[in-house]
Amino acid sequence: MGDKSDIQILICQGTGGISAGAKGVEAEFTRVIAEQGLSATIGKRCDVIKTGCRGLCANDVLVDIITPDQGRVTYDFVLPEEVEKIVKEHIIGSATLDKRKAKPYYNTFLERQMRVVMGNCGEIDPDSLDAYLSDYSKGFQAIEKCVKTMKQDEVIEEVKKSGLRGRGGGGFPTGMKWSFCKASAGHHKYLICNADEGDPGAFMDRSILEGDPYCIIEGMQIAGYAIGATYGYVYVRAEYPLAVQRLQHAIDVCYEKGYLGKNIKGWGLDFDMRIKMGAGAFVCGEETALMASIEGERGMSRPRPPFPAVKGLWGYPTNINNVETFANVRHIINNGSGWYASLGTETTKGTKIFAVTGKVKHTGLVEVPAGMKVREVLFDVCGGIVNNRKFKAVQAGGPSGGCIPEELLDTLVDYNALIQAGAMMGSGGLVVMDETTCMVDVAKFFLTFTRTESCGKCVPCRIGLKVMLDILTKITEGRGEPSDIDALLDLGAAIKKASLCGLGQTAPNPVLSTINYFLPEYEAHINDKRCPSNCCKDLLLWEVSNEKCVKCGACKKACPVNAIVWEKGQLAYLDQEKCTKCKSCYDACRFMALV
Amino acid sequence: MVNLTIDDKQVTAPKDATIYDAARINGIKIPILCHDKKLKPFGACRMCLVEVEQMKGRQIPACTTPVTDGMIIRTDTPDIIKARKLVLELLLLNHPLDCPVCDKGGDCDLQNLTYEYKVDSNRFVDSKFQHVIDYNNPLIERDMNRCVLCGKCVRICDEIVGFGALTFIDRGIETKIGCEFEKGLDCEFCGSCISVCPVGSLLARPFKFKSRFWALTNNKSVCGYCGTGCNVTLGVKDNKVLTTVYDENQGFHKGQLCVRGRFGYQFINSAKRLTTPLVKKNGALTESTWDEALEIVAGRLKGGSAVAALATPRLTNEELVLFKKLLVENVGTKNYDHSAGYAHSALTEGFVRSFGSAASSASILDVQKTDLLLVIKTDTYETHPVVGFEMNMAVKNKGVKLSILSDKRGKLSKLPHAQTLVHRPGSEIVLLNAIARTLIDEKLVADSAASVAGYAELEKALSGVSIEAAVTASGISAADIKNLASEYASAAKALIVFPVGQAYTGHTAALASAAANIAILTGKYGKEGCGVLCLSEKNNSQGAIDMGFYAQDGGLNGLQILDACADGSVKTLFVAGENPLVSYPDRARVKAALDAVEFLVVSELFLTETAAMADVVLPVCSFAEKEGTFTSSDRRVQYITPAIRKGARIKSDFELFSNLITRLGGQGTSTPEALFGEISSTVSGYQGMSYQALQIESAFAPVVITPALVVPLPESPRASEAGKLALVTGSVLYHSGTLSQYGEGPMHVCPEAYIEMSRTDAAAHKIAENDMVTVTSATGNIKLKAKVTPRMPAGVVFVPYNFSSAPVNTIWNGAAVTSVTVTK
Repeated sequence: MGDKSDIQILICQGTGGISAGAKGVEAEFTRVIAEQGLSATIGKRCDVIKTGCRGLCANDVLVDIITPDQGRVTYDFVLPEEVEKIVKEHIIGSATLDKRKAKPYYNTFLERQMRVVMGNCGEIDPDSLDAYLSDYSKGFQAIEKCVKTMKQDEVIEEVKKSGLRGRGGGGFPTGMKWSFCKASAGHHKYLICNADEGDPGAFMDRSILEGDPYCIIEGMQIAGYAIGATYGYVYVRAEYPLAVQRLQHAIDVCYEKGYLGKNIKGWGLDFDMRIKMGAGAFVCGEETALMASIEGERGMSRPRPPFPAVKGLWGYPTNINNVETFANVRHIINNGSGWYASLGTETTKGTKIFAVTGKVKHTGLVEVPAGMKVREVLFDVCGGIVNNRKFKAVQAGGPSGGCIPEELLDTLVDYNALIQAGAMMGSGGLVVMDETTCMVDVAKFFLTFTRTESCGKCVPCRIGLKVMLDILTKITEGRGEPSDIDALLDLGAAIKKASLCGLGQTAPNPVLSTINYFLPEYEAHINDKRCPSNCCKDLLLWEVSNEKCVKCGACKKACPVNAIVWEKGQLAYLDQEKCTKCKSCYDACRFMALV
Repeated sequence: MVNLTIDDKQVTAPKDATIYDAARINGIKIPILCHDKKLKPFGACRMCLVEVEQMKGRQIPACTTPVTDGMIIRTDTPDIIKARKLVLELLLLNHPLDCPVCDKGGDCDLQNLTYEYKVDSNRFVDSKFQHVIDYNNPLIERDMNRCVLCGKCVRICDEIVGFGALTFIDRGIETKIGCEFEKGLDCEFCGSCISVCPVGSLLARPFKFKSRFWALTNNKSVCGYCGTGCNVTLGVKDNKVLTTVYDENQGFHKGQLCVRGRFGYQFINSAKRLTTPLVKKNGALTESTWDEALEIVAGRLKGGSAVAALATPRLTNEELVLFKKLLVENVGTKNYDHSAGYAHSALTEGFVRSFGSAASSASILDVQKTDLLLVIKTDTYETHPVVGFEMNMAVKNKGVKLSILSDKRGKLSKLPHAQTLVHRPGSEIVLLNAIARTLIDEKLVADSAASVAGYAELEKALSGVSIEAAVTASGISAADIKNLASEYASAAKALIVFPVGQAYTGHTAALASAAANIAILTGKYGKEGCGVLCLSEKNNSQGAIDMGFYAQDGGLNGLQILDACADGSVKTLFVAGENPLVSYPDRARVKAALDAVEFLVVSELFLTETAAMADVVLPVCSFAEKEGTFTSSDRRVQYITPAIRKGARIKSDFELFSNLITRLGGQGTSTPEALFGEISSTVSGYQGMSYQALQIESAFAPVVITPALVVPLPESPRASEAGKLALVTGSVLYHSGTLSQYGEGPMHVCPEAYIEMSRTDAAAHKIAENDMVTVTSATGNIKLKAKVTPRMPAGVVFVPYNFSSAPVNTIWNGAAVTSVTVTK
């Protein structure tokens, strides 16, 4: 955020933005501005700035134009060919293109959020140290405050008082974790930032790294100072090339400008850090497997104790926090633990970022204060369910989490409340499901994931998950037996209790929670050989409901094998002989007429 | 100690114990599948789950969880039993259950636990694995279909053996144990993986379908190959040694063996064994009787000093003493020796001068107790692999620093942070003297050193040593020399290790003293983790020295005896188990001697090249068929008892010597036990040892150290001629002396001699891997297969000395460094 009298064009360039063509849009802005000799024409600086993600990647390319007279105006779905028009009419002509402006949804989406951790995402150039150091971002002020005015224990105390809990999933109190590592004997300690974000549907860590890499460096410095660790690793999955690139750039710049290395800025603080890229194993997000991977070993979990705080990386005391956790730290130091603790509920403080995906209108990243109702997140912020369908459940916490049914939608965003509801905060993935989603199939989806990603070390997880998946497959293929549900419950409970690490200890959750809330769906599969959501292919036997059909013909257009007979103004008819059960018609029908 | 409650029983356990340990100590059994006390905690199988009052809601693995004070543990609740049964059910889903044809049947942990937990049905169904069985090597079969993924093989190969041949591959249910890039197993074949495999996934191929486990009789013994003194259990059926059986409680090495110990036993039951005495008649060896043969030999032994003897240090202490008695008292000669007379001079001359005792001033146990290991020659891993395992564990688990002075790189060089200074062959003494001088120059000597005898002389002599000259001679930089000196001096404890043996002609008394000087100057001797550990070549090399079976008081040494045979002054030569024609330097010299000597008698297991030249050949026992004691490199005295009955017309060397004493009019000794009585009353360090006690537990013969600083005698130059390659010889991992040639296992893996050379030299000579090349020296030439490896420095080639088919002594006359040319 530069001088108010200047013109700024902020172009969303996270992975989502770039995929949608943001680079082309940026090039076009630069070209047109130069061509028009804009600075001379209107006598103002005009900066084209790439920013991190604003959380609404589905609507990229998002462009904000900030002018002294118009203020901030957002355009969505911007294409390069529209750029010239925008520059000429909006910037030169000072008239906003009202038809091209982002619709009101955009403000609704942002207005209920509280963007603290993602405060810089979408606002500043993630590659620019100057932008991070600006008055807007207050970069490196927190670490300076720590080093100059606080003792190590005071920093830990401040984090403890703030009530910050680990954002990676477990929700362990961060200050407590730091104090354990600080208390461990020895002067050689390691700090690790866990950026091996692997839950299907979760991408908030990526977005922070892409949009505000310097804040991770500062967060780690603060933790390093508090604990007495002078070396930090950031373990990022290699599938996040842009995050790696931006963070590496930030690290390089910090070394160059004296914000990393020996005696940082003359404050007497030593801190070195490097990136270690992961090779794509989900289990490497588990901290002992992550450390094994950094050590060059196969990513397999290790028994605890010894806990990392006592004997971690290379055998030295190690503290591991997740990206979002580190990103919170500087705000706590800057604004005080009191401010932070004032946000949220008794047991969950601050804000939480959710990655909302699935059948909601506005998918993306949302940062909300803890204590908001899940219903508000989904319906107020994200606009509710697409295609007028009925909400069925939201899966929270990824493969380790569980499903929250409609009746529990008023559950608060709170570690304890979510667990009570049979789900978990996890890293913050929310997968929204509507009435067309089969809960047995959802359980099968998550189990397929965990069964494949099991490191193969301990027996319950390696073989048990495979057996559970086999049973679920059997059920969805219409070969289920009544005893299968007991077998799933029994195995699931045993695997949770007996597995070595968090992966196996939580992997049965999606199955157990769907059985808990959606037992009738299981029973329909097993006893009636029917999938109530018309999802499991082998159980599909459907026809067009004469009552519901509005004769629109959308189903006929969608059918790839001409199995739908339809004439204008006529009811559609499904030819069972030709149907391959691809479900294209089902998905195309806005009126749930296929039953 | 901490107090805890296990199954309502109040117990105590050491602070660092796991729940599993605590239960075991207190007689409570917790089942395990993936746990091994030698390996780091793993926690994979979940068989050892228990409930802990303080950690409710979870099931706790006993094998990885440390005890804490006040813990309340239950090992047998219905939930726990159910969890264990589930683990077994799950494992049995994929396990092939081909127990009737599995060699592991009866000794299988999975089988036993399934039985114990009565898992007689399975609630689940799944298909069996379809992994291809690895038959790529002759010794170890890998059948991943039976695998339970306990990971013990992976861990032992990494944590103890230090090879890392195996790893986990893939994820989820597809996880399996494999080799890099899914190739077949190609490793050192020590078989450690087999020994810890709880199921039949890893099996010894030579033992396949030989016997059911329960039909074997297990006999404890001591390995008959090198001087490490590993304990082995021989699995015997129908009077045949069919395998070695793993016993995790055996010996300092906890049952760990190398390829020779585990797979080299076949010579015991070899069809090539001599079964009856042979007597040369009309120029040909013909079958004879013991009576006839011994009568001839006894007659020929009546020659006083015209009789000489060479004995292998594979004989027992009792046999060596009895042989010496026969020679000294009944024959009247002092001409006897072993190992060519020079291979033990580091001990009998070097250490006698420097430490006042012909023995190592440290034990193998010190390897794990020291702070810094200074290893001379990387070959330690090849000559004494189990000592190598100890070094691996010391470096990896205890952070022991490892510095190596060697003429080539080796497996030791690959250990973490190992510092290998590759010097020009033959420059060891120059280097060690330079280090000694640096210690004095840099004032790194201990206060105690100045009062040690010879300090002034050594200081004076060293002041004449030029560091620059050492740099030139060795190729090691002055900075590295200085660095090594200061690291050694600053370590609280430091241990020097070097191998001796017939192949290491350069490892002389002078080298021993040069090494000892460093230890004495810095005061690193006579205490735990310090001293010089000399690894002797054969299983009883140290015993042969302790029993005094080497040239003393004007007697001829090994090589002098051969010369005396050649010049006619020795007329009768008694060779007990040595094969000088292959293993002594300078084949022409040996051949001339054996041709010239009037009467040659050889007692042997096999008709070796030397035995084939004899007038009388006497078939004797292997270690598995006799009784007595062996002394390891670090003077551990160990008892062996026959594992199998000897052949009907075979005698032990003990019986043979006793018989000859009687025939020469002396008083024979009836049993080894009786003879050990003499040893324990006369031999220094053995005093007070009891034969009965040794039968239960081995004992160390203590070493009394009287330090003296000795100026290492100047050596003749050892550099190779310009333009030629420097040949060094030595032992290869899979072999020991020439005996292992009769072991099928070692011969499967390493069947023939080869010449190992650097890539640079190979390229310069246009030689590719496996090319047949002719190696020529001043004394002769041999044809060898080329092996091109990165471990050899340019200009240096290596040929192992263990093979009869291409005896290196045709081109090697005993020089530490031989100049050779290599042509295609």
